[in-house]
Amino acid sequence: MSSNNNKFWLSLNNYEDKRSFRKIQKNEFLDGVTDDFNPEKLPEISRRKFLAISAATTAITAVACTDYRDKGEIVPYNKKPETTTIGIANYYSSTCTGCNNHCGILIKTREGRPIKVDGNPDHPVNKGKICAAGQASILNLYDPERLKHPSKNVGWKYQKESWENINKDIIAALDKAKSSNKEIAIISHTINSPSALKLLKEFKEKYPSTVFYPYEYYDNKNKIDAWKNCFGQNTLPAIKLENAKIIVSLDSDFLGNEGNFIENTAKFVSKRNTENLDDFNRLYVVEGGMSLTGLNADYRLRLSPNKQLEFILSLINELILEKKINYSIPSDFAELVKKYPLKQFVDKHKLNSKYVKHLVDDLEQNKGKSIVLAGDKLDYQSQIAVNMLNEIIGANSLYADTDVSLTNEINDFEILKSTNNLPEKTQFEWLINKLNNKKVAVVIHLDCNPVFHLSPDYGYERALKNAELVVTFTKEKTETSDISNYVLAINHDFESWGDFITRKGVYSLQQPVISPLYETRQKEAVLLDWLSGKPNEYKEDIYHKYIMSNWEVNIYPQFNSKAEFKPFWYAALHDGVVQIESNPQNIFVFNSNSLFDIKPKTSTESLSLLLTNNYTIGDGRFANNGWLQELPHPVTKVTWDNYAAISPETAKQLKLKNFCMIELSVGNRNVNLPIVIQPGMADNLICVELGYGRWQVGTVGMSVGVNAGIFIDKTGNKFISDVKIKKIHGNYKIATTQEHHALDDEFVKDMHKKRKIIKEATIEEYKKDKKILHHEHHPDISLVNRKKYTEMKWAMAIDLNKCTGCGACISACNVENNVPIVGKDQVLMGREMHWMRIDRYYSGTPEEPMASNQPMLCQHCDNAPCENVCPVVATNHSPDGLNQMAYNRCVGTRYCSNNCPYKVRRFNFYDFRDHFEKGYYYQDSLKLVQNPEVTVRSRGVMEKCTFCIQRIMEARQEAVKQNRKIKGTDVQTACQVACPASAIIFGDSNDKESEIYKQRHHDLSYYVLEELNIKPNVTYIARLRNIKSED
Amino acid sequence: MKKTVLDYLLKIRIPVTLFIILLTFAVTYFVAKPERDGIGYAPEQPIKFSHKLHAGNMNIDCKYCHTSVDKGRFASVPSADICMNCHSVARRDKEEIKKLVEYYEKNQPIPWKRVHKLGDFAYFNHSVHINKSIDCKNCHGDVARMEVISQVNSFTMGACLDCHRQAHSRLPELKDKIKKGPDNCNACHR
Repeated sequence: MSSNNNKFWLSLNNYEDKRSFRKIQKNEFLDGVTDDFNPEKLPEISRRKFLAISAATTAITAVACTDYRDKGEIVPYNKKPETTTIGIANYYSSTCTGCNNHCGILIKTREGRPIKVDGNPDHPVNKGKICAAGQASILNLYDPERLKHPSKNVGWKYQKESWENINKDIIAALDKAKSSNKEIAIISHTINSPSALKLLKEFKEKYPSTVFYPYEYYDNKNKIDAWKNCFGQNTLPAIKLENAKIIVSLDSDFLGNEGNFIENTAKFVSKRNTENLDDFNRLYVVEGGMSLTGLNADYRLRLSPNKQLEFILSLINELILEKKINYSIPSDFAELVKKYPLKQFVDKHKLNSKYVKHLVDDLEQNKGKSIVLAGDKLDYQSQIAVNMLNEIIGANSLYADTDVSLTNEINDFEILKSTNNLPEKTQFEWLINKLNNKKVAVVIHLDCNPVFHLSPDYGYERALKNAELVVTFTKEKTETSDISNYVLAINHDFESWGDFITRKGVYSLQQPVISPLYETRQKEAVLLDWLSGKPNEYKEDIYHKYIMSNWEVNIYPQFNSKAEFKPFWYAALHDGVVQIESNPQNIFVFNSNSLFDIKPKTSTESLSLLLTNNYTIGDGRFANNGWLQELPHPVTKVTWDNYAAISPETAKQLKLKNFCMIELSVGNRNVNLPIVIQPGMADNLICVELGYGRWQVGTVGMSVGVNAGIFIDKTGNKFISDVKIKKIHGNYKIATTQEHHALDDEFVKDMHKKRKIIKEATIEEYKKDKKILHHEHHPDISLVNRKKYTEMKWAMAIDLNKCTGCGACISACNVENNVPIVGKDQVLMGREMHWMRIDRYYSGTPEEPMASNQPMLCQHCDNAPCENVCPVVATNHSPDGLNQMAYNRCVGTRYCSNNCPYKVRRFNFYDFRDHFEKGYYYQDSLKLVQNPEVTVRSRGVMEKCTFCIQRIMEARQEAVKQNRKIKGTDVQTACQVACPASAIIFGDSNDKESEIYKQRHHDLSYYVLEELNIKPNVTYIARLRNIKSED
Repeated sequence: MKKTVLDYLLKIRIPVTLFIILLTFAVTYFVAKPERDGIGYAPEQPIKFSHKLHAGNMNIDCKYCHTSVDKGRFASVPSADICMNCHSVARRDKEEIKKLVEYYEKNQPIPWKRVHKLGDFAYFNHSVHINKSIDCKNCHGDVARMEVISQVNSFTMGACLDCHRQAHSRLPELKDKIKKGPDNCNACHR
């Protein structure tokens, strides 16, 4: 049956085709459908009226509730602190404790909150300069992941607990340990605070079973041991680098991260003055990896650290036996040295014989004015050999005498250390033994992280389980705090009191500049609280009073001050530092018996590993600081990672490519690391930086890099031979801010020299021809009318002779100008926001490159190309020569950035504070770190260096106040203040008396890309290489 | 020719409608401009402080309370302890003073309503103007006669530039003392 013929029906009525159904079908409505409808009963409001009313209500509520005229509130102080003036910054001097150098700092606070840190200009050691980490450490104060209260481990989690209860528990545990005569172990970093040392001594008196275990992750034990043996003194002297004409660095990164590199940098560059050509120093660097110091070398030789001892002996051989320097060495040693002729060494290791010859000649000719610096990582024997070599070349006249003899307080530390009667090298072995034998009752970690720092050979983490109680003082979550019974949240430096001995007779004070943001306490105050035994009677100022009374009784009398103690103390706090003038004469008598310790082994050619200090995040303590993680590595420009650096030659042999992954193994331990091919490295050597790969840390530092510290064994040696590497599958994404393998490419090779981005000369060339850089002349033709700047015109000069490329300027700029942290993924896309970068160029061959640094920032060109292309005139020129950027006006076309030949403009592809880690840097506490004088830029606008316009305006305000004109010297930019080498000069280029005018008209001054005729206002002073003309 | 509906629409209805819309818009724009700029805004303050009484009748210098006006960017609203300099003895019986004392003693800041506001992107500097002898009145009006403080001038970029560019005609009494104000972006924006 076909369905087409089907008849469909709705109901039986329909089927039967009844009349009633037909009617229903025909009519729209059924009969009587409106029967009940009564319009009278309907509501009176019609549909239209209803709509009108609801619209009006919405409008009225919208207007009434928001009160569109409301402008918020102004909430003044109730009782204004006398020293605070709204809008005017206050400065407090204090001391930085980011590392053991204890630099004096000056903290800028606005309305009571710290916003910027700089060096304390009155401090005799760091003289107003601090490093990149010190600059950025302010972020740690406001870190949203700081521990906000003390907590107790209750098995499965850390639970908030009151200070009183925790302290009661700990005091009970300490008393128990005392009565049962079980050990109380205090583990800390080196302490050189006189008051803290006194406190610890008192602690030891009350709890006699206390044993102290001080350690450093980046130690110089070998150096100190050798020094002790050679000169019988426990502390190393400062070196008078400012008097040295020839400096030879043997794997010593003295400008980058060893010793007080800030002080070293200032002293080193003091002899790089283009006004004083005859007094230029010459830097030889002999090293395995490529360090920041290596970047600045005049002559650089590649040598693996295990061959340094032979090299030193060969040098001694050459100087004594060939050059016949008048110095008698012990006959046994002479016999030894005889076995190491320099020529043979040079041939064997394919060193540049010309460079070595220059080195030997220089050492011979500059007796008393040259010094050899041995790196911290070199072994004990090399250190002794270097001390010997320094004796031969008369370098002992460069040892600063004021710093050697031990002060009473440092002696205290030595006494403290000796409580365990153990040599430093084996102390932890003892501790582990005692822990495993359950002889330790309480372990106290004084703001240190041994679980991360100690060699895994100790099995410290496991051993800690045998302690009855583990107490960790810490600012943020660490590997150590994660396995402690009590985690005591401590104050940040800026919330703490302290006193430190930077040098003999130099006392640096630390004072709080903000009251604790959270329920934290100062660690010394907690110790005092334990000593008092009355945790309920704790007072905030307990340690403050303790320091003051210690000073009044013990330290103040040493000064023979005419002032009473109180005025003396307040003056000292104000200045941040006090100094005892003394003039001790230390005679350095070399103990030639120490030479018996030198028993060189023949070095092997196997692949070896050198673990180096990193340049930014310290011993891992700054891992959660985004500013530092994002600061480009001074050599490779890598951010957010560590990696295995390897020489191009070795990479070729092992068939490794840039960024490929390898498995690095020593014994049964291994890690996976990306390869970075580093020009200028010694062959058969891998360099990996320490401090990365923290596994218990905040969001920012989590899974950044790899912990190469697992390769350190109990000896603490950071040079490890016989390592194996295996290429493993996959490539790694490394976020560098600069292409760093440009050397291989013929097209871009030496591009910076061809385009005259980097201009350099040797001293001899320059002496012969002062105009050597200015032989080329560019036609001064312009399409646009050039504006004349008759009054004030801001300009900057950067002396490339002085710039070492350390990056302190970038860090200072970030803090001053609210530069956001973008994260690794964004750096990979080239979206880093730094207003300033340090370009690092190589020239020469990949094996033996020469490096050139160049800080690059907005050049504030007179004929700025960015200005012509902005469709909304958001960027234009000010009458005082600044290229100004009005964020409100910017619509984000990015034309300006496209047209900038220097590539210094930065675009906010996101509101990066919001974008990074789901708004990590948008949290409340981080609003306090922003400089209130600088706009916080949001998504979609362009930004760039402003020459610190906020500082210019502040200087202008002061000038108006004094009814005078603003002067060029009134303003110092943030980078200028920070630069440890004082390479940056800023001022009014129309003022003929000024330093900047002098620099701009210097024979060595040049503009980058001068031929574009855009008249930049940043002048570079070309670097003079102090090399001999035949090279 | 027969007039069609379309003709009527095109020639009369639409132009008239458009004209009315535009006129309304233009009139509203200009009439409401002062209000949009905040002119005449005089919010109720937590304490009925009278500038007329203090600055007018008693002739207290502005700087006595607005202490930082010649020192930095902000004039600063006085902290309660400045009020208490006098009111720890003066007029303790008055209702408003009791409120003040209560705030002071409870150590609560007084939540004054903000009357004058610039965008956060503009960095106006009081001290530069005051130290160039430009009187408060020029922007804030005759405060000494205001019982309740209110905004009298518009605080727009146009208003700033108007004075900066024609300082001599706007402030004839300072003709010899000042030049014209800066009108580059960086003068206010950074």
